[in-house]
Amino acid sequence: MNQAEIRKLIPAVRVVINAKHRRFSNPKGPEGRLMMMRKTVTELVKLERVELNYQRGDEARGYAERLIASAIKNGDCHIPTMEMANYWLNEKQLVHKLFKVLAVRYRDSTESYTKLHKAPNKYPGFFREKAVLELKGNPFPPLEPNNSSRNWIHNILLEEAHQEYIKKKLKEEETDN
Amino acid sequence: MVGVGARSGAARLFGVLQGLCRETWGCQARGVATRASTRVLPFIPTQDPDVIRKVPHDFRVVYPEFLPNPVPEWRNRLREKIERKDMLARRSNMPIPEFYIGSIMAVTVADPNAAGKTNRFVGICIQRGDSGLRAWFSLRNVIDHQGLEIKYEMYSPLVQNIEVLRLEKRLDDELLYLRDALPIYSTFPSDMETEILQEGAPVPVNPIKVQLKPRPWHERWERKNLQGVRDLGLPERFYKKAKLHEKPWEKYDLMKEYRATIPEEEQADIFREISSHYPLLESTRRRGKRKRVLPSLS
Repeated sequence: MNQAEIRKLIPAVRVVINAKHRRFSNPKGPEGRLMMMRKTVTELVKLERVELNYQRGDEARGYAERLIASAIKNGDCHIPTMEMANYWLNEKQLVHKLFKVLAVRYRDSTESYTKLHKAPNKYPGFFREKAVLELKGNPFPPLEPNNSSRNWIHNILLEEAHQEYIKKKLKEEETDN
Repeated sequence: MVGVGARSGAARLFGVLQGLCRETWGCQARGVATRASTRVLPFIPTQDPDVIRKVPHDFRVVYPEFLPNPVPEWRNRLREKIERKDMLARRSNMPIPEFYIGSIMAVTVADPNAAGKTNRFVGICIQRGDSGLRAWFSLRNVIDHQGLEIKYEMYSPLVQNIEVLRLEKRLDDELLYLRDALPIYSTFPSDMETEILQEGAPVPVNPIKVQLKPRPWHERWERKNLQGVRDLGLPERFYKKAKLHEKPWEKYDLMKEYRATIPEEEQADIFREISSHYPLLESTRRRGKRKRVLPSLS
C-alpha cells in the first residue's frame, strides 16, 4: 500500500533502468514477456555477447544484472537464488557457469556486470534501434575502438622532443654550476 | 465544379502528404516516447565512514514508513529528507510505539464534539500503508454489533496517544477479510488491559485461523492465498476460476520485485541519516516494553 516492500533486501542495480517495465506485446501475455526475457538472458550468459534490438537489450540487461548480483550475494547454497537461476537459465549447464565463473569473475567488481553498446542499423530496413549486449570481461576483442591518441606519430615525436629538451636543460644547468 | 475538383485534388495531396508525414512522425514519436519515459540512475551510496554507525537490523521492519515510496516518478529526495526530520520531531513529542498488522491498539484523538474533547478507540490493526508523513493504519472493532473501522494518520497532530495493548503479528499482510469473518474475531473490549510481553522476546505470531461468513463477500477471498482463514467451503468451480487467475511467474520477475523496493544501500543510507536519533527511537521501544512488564511485577 504505497509502502516499500521490506521482506527482501535487494542490492542496488548498477545500471540505468526504466522507471516502468516495457510491455513487449506477446500472445502469452506477461508470462510470455518474461519467457522472452529469459531467452535473452540465457543467450547472454551462454555467448557473453549478443546483438539484439535496443529496447529488448535494455530490458533484459536489468534481469541479467540482478541475477548475477544475487548469485554473488547469496552463493549456490541459497535455495531461492538457485530456483531463480533455474528459472532464468534455460540450459542447466549455465547454472554452473553463473555460480562458478560469473560470480567469481565479478566478486570484487564495483561497477556494472554488463555493457550495452548502441549498434548501427542496416539501410534500407526496419528502423529499430539495434544494440549489442555483452558481459564485461568476455574473451572477445573490444567493440569500441581505443580512442587514446598516445600512439599517434606526432604525439610520439612531441614526447621525444620534450624529453630531449628536459635533458638539454639539465645538462646546461650542470655546466653552469 | 472546378473548385470542388481542386479541393478534392488538394485533399488527396494532403492525404498523401499526411500519410508520408505520419510515418516519419510516427517514427519520431516512438523515439520521443521511449526517450521521455523516466530513466532511473544507479544509486551511489555515500562513502563517509564517520557517519556509519550500527543500524539495528530490524529497523526497516519496525519503522517501515521511514522508507520512501519506491515509485520513481513520485520520488523527491529533498522532500523525503525533510519529511523524515518532521517525523522524528513528531516522535519526540508523541512516542509512536512499535506495532504490526494484527496488533491490538488504542488511539486517542482530539475530538471537539466528544465529552472530554478526546475520543479513544480500541481495535485490531488490519492494514497500514503509505510512507513518510502520510503514513496511516486502520483499526477495526465491533461495537454494539456494528463493525467499525477508523483510519488514523500516524503523524497527524490530532492524534494524542497511541498505545499497543497486545503486540503480535498475524499470518497475513492484511486482515481485510475480518470484514467478512464472524464478528467474534474482531470484537475487543474498549477497557482492554495492556498485555505483558517478556523484554527482549521476539514478537509472537498469532496462528489463529478465522471462520468467514458465507458468501456474498467484499472480495473473492479464495483468490488471495490467505493463510489465516479456515476452509472457505466453496464449490469446486470457484477454486478452478481462482487457479486461472493465479500468476505463478510473478515471483520470478526480478525487476518487478526490484521496482517495488528501496535498494539495500539506499536503506542503509536512510537509516544512517537518522542514526543520531536512534536513542530516541530505542527509548520509545524500551518504554513500551517496560509498560508491558510493569503489571507482572505488581
